[in-house]
Amino acid sequence: MFEWFDRRFPTQLVARRNLSRTKVRSALACLGIVIGVIAIASLGMFGAALRTQATQNLGEIGNQVVISPDRSEGVESLTGRDVRTIERAADGQTVLPVKSNVSTITVGRQQSRVQLYGMERPAQTYAARVGTIPDPLRSGALVGSSLAEDLDIGVGSTIEVDGNTYRVRAVLEEGDAFNPVSPDSAVILPERAIPESGYDNVIVVAETGEAANATAQAVRDSLNDREPRVTVFELSSITDQISQFFTVLNQFLIGIGSISLLVAGVSILNVMLMSTVERREEIGVMRAVGYQKRQILKIMLAEAILLGVVGGIAGALISLGAGMIIHQVLLDNALLAFRPEVLVYLPVALGFGVATSAISGLYPAWKAANERPVEALRN
Amino acid sequence: MIATVPVVQTRDLVKRYETGGETVVALDHIDFSVAAGEFVSIVGPSGSGKTTLLNMLGLLDGPTEGEIRLEGEDVTDLSSRERTAARKRTIGFVFQHFFLLPTLTAVENVEVPRLFDDDPETTARAERLLERVGLGDRLRHKPSELSGGQKQRVAIARSLINEPRLLLADEPTGNLDRETGKQILEEFARIKREDDVAIVAVTHDPLVNEYTDRTVELVDGVTS
Repeated sequence: MFEWFDRRFPTQLVARRNLSRTKVRSALACLGIVIGVIAIASLGMFGAALRTQATQNLGEIGNQVVISPDRSEGVESLTGRDVRTIERAADGQTVLPVKSNVSTITVGRQQSRVQLYGMERPAQTYAARVGTIPDPLRSGALVGSSLAEDLDIGVGSTIEVDGNTYRVRAVLEEGDAFNPVSPDSAVILPERAIPESGYDNVIVVAETGEAANATAQAVRDSLNDREPRVTVFELSSITDQISQFFTVLNQFLIGIGSISLLVAGVSILNVMLMSTVERREEIGVMRAVGYQKRQILKIMLAEAILLGVVGGIAGALISLGAGMIIHQVLLDNALLAFRPEVLVYLPVALGFGVATSAISGLYPAWKAANERPVEALRN
Repeated sequence: MIATVPVVQTRDLVKRYETGGETVVALDHIDFSVAAGEFVSIVGPSGSGKTTLLNMLGLLDGPTEGEIRLEGEDVTDLSSRERTAARKRTIGFVFQHFFLLPTLTAVENVEVPRLFDDDPETTARAERLLERVGLGDRLRHKPSELSGGQKQRVAIARSLINEPRLLLADEPTGNLDRETGKQILEEFARIKREDDVAIVAVTHDPLVNEYTDRTVELVDGVTS
């Protein structure tokens, strides 16, 4: 089955036969590479799964900017002028001014003090779990998910706030944990329902994370120009930090994996050195019958690389199984292991494995190639 | 008869080694030549320099002084790479310990010197050579499945794969019994006749001299 291949690539024929001569030794050296490749690939995949798990929990909040008055500077609320400035800075992105208040609501016979938000267009940033969010919101109320659960509020219920009654139009989806304007335990009313004149937050919903970044910068530039007036909270900065953390974590994990590959490299170095000593005479004969040093180098290097390729492929296949188990355990879906950002660790680890073998084979190969045939053939 | 250039020729060949601060003269101004179709043996006690001379003739080692010509071409100062190429082109080697690659079959062993040449004819030629030395029925055998005499025949076939002009043999009968040694020497004699190859054998074995055209005796690096 190898015949055509052997004819085309005689180096690997000789290499393969030589490795098969000391089967156990070759297999053990190979096993080292298998373990090293598994370590790198599965730790890398583990890191990718952890990252996915974390970002799933955070949700997609990277494209929002929340602007609040800088209370430490004595600014208590944002004015209509501030909102217009933000609208100019946001340059076409959706700008949602939010008024907020804390008040007592009455549902049936139950009363509760809750966070109230007054917004004109909540549909731009929140999604309904039940019912629909009118855009713009002119009448009625939206209720956060946990509040709806606590007070047993559904779409169509009536709630009373400060003497006014509102019909519940929708129960909202759970919001993102990091959002300063979190709707979960709040009631959202039309803007004019909140009596205050100023705004407590302005949410900018941008098209992309980059646009959110640019907007945040532009708002800082225009509102905090002379003296600090607002704090600008970019949710993307949190996701960036988390992402950075996982990048570092992943590098650390792969670093640990590399140590086992290093050990594997040393074992290949050892095996190849033993092999060159044992085969000194053979190599001498090959040199005598006209093999150039370069060709001896190639044969010896091919042996080391062959160990790396075989071990690496075995390791990569096992790692794929390990990756599926990791994804099943962490994310309840083994098939998520087949995403490109996870699969990429297989060729990376395979590459590391082959490179380690090649580097480890370099010195023994060089040594074998530079042995003087006269010395090698001395009886 | 046309005056022909010797296949290999040395002039004033000197080889000195430095060992432990002492200089050993292994070869002392040797003039030696072999013509095509000539079978020459080099005899002498151990340490007489005969293996050193064989290494010089085989371009495995360079002389300290003097000159070596291979088919008339001065090869004294060739680079390592050029010497390797010249060996491949012109010289075949047969060793006392055969030095076959244990992982390769008889045919593959014969092919070894040409393994990287990508020549589809090599296998057929290797098989013909093995048939010629009487191993037509042992083509796919590994060295471990062959007797000493058979191994040496494989080694002879290997030495012929590149159609050498010069065949160098280091104690070719040293590891064989008398009867097998005879067969091997007959093989050499036949190759010399049929291929017009120059053969130089270094040996202790007086049997070899029965087959050679000429015997050169080396004592302390000097021919006598």
